[in-house]
Amino acid sequence: MISLLKIEWLKVKNYKAFWIFSILYFISILGINYSGYYVNELAIKNMPASTLLLGTPYSFPKVWQTVGWMSSWLLYFPGILFIMMLTNEFNFKTHRQNIIDGWTRFQFITVKIIFALIFCVLATFINFLVALFFGFLSTGSEFSLEGLQNVGYIFIQTVAYITFAMFLAILFRRSGVAIAVFFMYGLIFEMLFMVVMHEVLKLSPAGYFLPLQATDVMLPIPFGNKILYSNAPAKYVLVITSILYIAGYYFFALKKFEGDDL
Amino acid sequence: MQILSVENLCKKYGAIQALKNVSFTVPKGTVFGILGPNGSGKTTLLGIIVDILKATSGSFRLFDEKPTQQHRRRIGTLLETPNFYHYLSGKKNLVIAAAIKQRGEEDIPGVLKLVDLTQREDSKFSTYSLGMKQRLAIASCLLGNPEVLIFDEPTNGLDPVGIAEIRDLIKRLSHEGKTIIMASHLLDEVEKVCTHVAILKKGELLATGDVNEILVNEDTIEIGAEDINKLTAVIKQMDQYKTVKEEGKFLQLLCPPGKANLEEINNYCFNNGVILNHLQLKKKSLEAKFFELTNK
Repeated sequence: MISLLKIEWLKVKNYKAFWIFSILYFISILGINYSGYYVNELAIKNMPASTLLLGTPYSFPKVWQTVGWMSSWLLYFPGILFIMMLTNEFNFKTHRQNIIDGWTRFQFITVKIIFALIFCVLATFINFLVALFFGFLSTGSEFSLEGLQNVGYIFIQTVAYITFAMFLAILFRRSGVAIAVFFMYGLIFEMLFMVVMHEVLKLSPAGYFLPLQATDVMLPIPFGNKILYSNAPAKYVLVITSILYIAGYYFFALKKFEGDDL
Repeated sequence: MQILSVENLCKKYGAIQALKNVSFTVPKGTVFGILGPNGSGKTTLLGIIVDILKATSGSFRLFDEKPTQQHRRRIGTLLETPNFYHYLSGKKNLVIAAAIKQRGEEDIPGVLKLVDLTQREDSKFSTYSLGMKQRLAIASCLLGNPEVLIFDEPTNGLDPVGIAEIRDLIKRLSHEGKTIIMASHLLDEVEKVCTHVAILKKGELLATGDVNEILVNEDTIEIGAEDINKLTAVIKQMDQYKTVKEEGKFLQLLCPPGKANLEEINNYCFNNGVILNHLQLKKKSLEAKFFELTNK
C-alpha cells in the first residue's frame, strides 16, 4: 500500500488546486474559529451576562466541540477538492491508463480512500491545535482533556463528508454534477428531509440517521444546550451509524468501479 | 506459446452488439493486425483485453494463463488516445507510469530519446501537440522493455515523417522478437508492418491468419473466345493458371501480382487452336480485396 500511496502522492504533489484548496481550508479553520472567538470575547467584555446564554464556547472543555462545530461548515472545501481529484482522472482518462498499466480497480479506489483518510487525520490534527490555541487564549479558561472525544467526532465527520463527496464523484463522473449534488444535498435537501421526517411524518429521531446529519448531530451547536437536537440518539449510536455510512460509500464506490466499463 | 487467446468474446452496449463470438489467437513473435472499418469493434476488443471494458460473455487468456494485473504489466498499451495528467510534465507522467508498471525510472531517458521528446520532457503535457502526445504514449508503452505491445491506431495524429518512424519502430521491435498487436483501419499500415491479421466487421470476425493469405493481392486476367468451352479446356492445361472462373462470356484467371504474361497466354491459346477475342489484365487493389472480405 505504501508504494500505491507514493504513486498517488506523485499525482497530487504537482497539482496546484490541491495545495490552494488545502492551504485555504487549513487557514479557514483558524480563521472561522478566530471570528467565533473574537465575537464571543467581545460579547463577554461588553455584556458579561451573555455567558449565561451562550456559555463559554472557547474555554476548556467546551472548546473541543466548538472548534469541531465551527469547522464543520468548511467541510465543503475538502469535499470539492476530492471531487475534483477524482473527476480529473475521469476527464483525463488516466483512471483507464492506471488500470492498463497494471493497477487493479480495487487498488485505484482503495488508494484514493486511504489518501483521503490521511488528509482527514491532518485536518483533525489542525482542528486539535486550533482548539488548544483558543482554549488557552480564552478568558478564564483552564486546560482540560474533558470532551476530547469531540476531536474523534471531528475526524469521523471529516471522513464522512469527504468520502460522501468521493462517492458522488465516482457515481456521476462529472465534477459539475457531483459538486452540485454535494452542495444541494448537504445544505438544503438533507435539512428538508429531516424536517419532513420529523415534523410531517413524525418519524423522529429517524432524521438524525441521514448520511451527513448523523455526523452533524455528533457535534451539535455549542451555544446553548440541546436546542436543535432535543431527542438525539446516543453518541455511540451516531458513531456506529457514521462508520456504516463511510463503509457503505467505500463498498458501493468499489462495486460500481469494479463492475463498470471505464 | 500463445500471447493472446480469445474465445467467443461478446460485448453488448445496450441493444448494440459490439463483438459477436470473436475467437482467435495471437502467436508469440508476430505483428498481429486487427483490421476493420470504424465501429467494427477493434478498440472494444482491445479494451476488454486490458481490463477497462467488461465482456458480456466469452473469455481470453494472456501468456496462456488467466489474465491478471501482472500480465498487464508485461504489456505496453496505447489505447485510443494518449491518457496523461495534463498538469504534469511528460517526464513526470512517465515516472507515474513506470511506478505503476513496477519498473525503475532508468528507462525514461532512453524511451524519451527514442520518440524524440528529450528536449520537451519538462514541458507540461497540456502544451504538447497531438503528435507529441502520441509519441509520449508510445514512449510510455516501451517502459520496462515489455515483451508484448498493444497499439490502437498508433499513427493517429502523426505527420508523414512520424508515421514512417512509427512503422520503422514497429518493424524494429518485431525483429527484437516482441509480439505486437495493432488495431488499425488503415489497410496500408497493416499490410506494411503486420505478419498476421484478423478482420472485423460490425463486431464479427470475418477472417484471421497470415497476412499474405488473408490479404493476398491477386491480379486477374480476363480472356474470351468464340468457343468458351474449348478455351476453358485449353487454359486449364497451362500450369500457372489453376484458378479459373467463368464470368459471363469471359474467363477470369487469377495470378500473383506482377506475374501475368498476356503474350504467353495469347500464344498458347493460338497454338492450341483457340483465337482470343478478349484479353485484359485487371489489377485488384488491396482495398478491393478488403471490401470483398468486409462486404460478404
